[in-house]
Amino acid sequence: MVLAALLFLQTFCTVFFIGDVVGDVIVEGVDLHIAFEAAVAGALAVGVVFAGLEMRRTIDRSRRAEAAVSVASGAFADLISVQFRSWKLTPAESDVALFALKGFDVAEIAELRGSAPGTVRAQLARVYAKADVSNRTQLLAVFTDELLSGALPGLGMRSAVSSATGGQPESQPPPP
Amino acid sequence: MAAIGASAGSGPVWDPIVRVTHWATALAITVNGLIIEGGSTLHLWVGYSALALLVLRLLWGVIGPEEARFSSFPPSVAGAVAHVRDLAAGRHGSHPSHNPAGSLMVYALWAMLGLTVATGVVLQTEPFPVEIERHGEVAEYDDRHEDDDEDELTEFVEETHELAANLLLTLAALHVAGVAVESRLTRRNLVRAMIDGAPTGRSGE
Repeated sequence: MVLAALLFLQTFCTVFFIGDVVGDVIVEGVDLHIAFEAAVAGALAVGVVFAGLEMRRTIDRSRRAEAAVSVASGAFADLISVQFRSWKLTPAESDVALFALKGFDVAEIAELRGSAPGTVRAQLARVYAKADVSNRTQLLAVFTDELLSGALPGLGMRSAVSSATGGQPESQPPPP
Repeated sequence: MAAIGASAGSGPVWDPIVRVTHWATALAITVNGLIIEGGSTLHLWVGYSALALLVLRLLWGVIGPEEARFSSFPPSVAGAVAHVRDLAAGRHGSHPSHNPAGSLMVYALWAMLGLTVATGVVLQTEPFPVEIERHGEVAEYDDRHEDDDEDELTEFVEETHELAANLLLTLAALHVAGVAVESRLTRRNLVRAMIDGAPTGRSGE
């Protein structure tokens, strides 16, 4: 936004100088001074075009980055739902597990789902059992581990993640 | 790049240049058309700002991102008619840039703004009167034109300037009405998209 305003200011100055030069030429004719002013105005006009091209590149770059991040986050959501299905979680358990992954505690999940905390605790216990983990941190680790090592064949996780990081080499997690 | 722009939402994501030039031009037209008196120094400067905005936006139409380019919204009367018919029938597709009816309006607004600014510049003999303190400079210039032909020409340009300005204001009002109708029918917040560049996802989705 600031860049856009700056580019406008630059354009305004260019219009000013070109108008000034044209006015001078009409009133006084061409002399060395005016020729130099014309060159300055021309240079400024070229500057505006290049600043515009640079801004275009900046916009393109930030959009690519945003798109890559959204691909990555979509891929992560895919990963979660595939994993939940493979654990054969019931719909209610999937909901609870997702809330747990998002960092809500038992009381909050109970409130969100309109159920008793005891029910949520039992559902979470079944999720942990099906996922073969013993707590929430381990449950989350299942996914972050998959995300970083690019497991789950068929999901194309590796390509999605590497495009999200702009093709930088992925950091491999240290062996446990 | 079109794919990315389109994938972000169901409507265009306007870049900062489009948004800044849009609102600044709207402000300039409102101020010069409805608030400031013609012929005042401020009027001239606002007019020159509008010219710079127009120049910048037209440049952006060549070098800007996909949805800001002229090639993304060619003027087409048939397309505009079809679009209005679709809207009336309750079909609203999404457009990567201006919708066909909007495109026509954009070109009409630009043409009218260009004419208004051009005639305005011609009316002002001295470009960029900086010295506001030198009262009556404009009048001074007018006094020098004692040639009758020139007076007639000046009058013609002045009339054209006023006519173009009034047409511009009318078009702007139509433009606002069009946006309101389109926003309502498609349940997309087109105004917000132009303010903060958010994709115009349908509300409730």
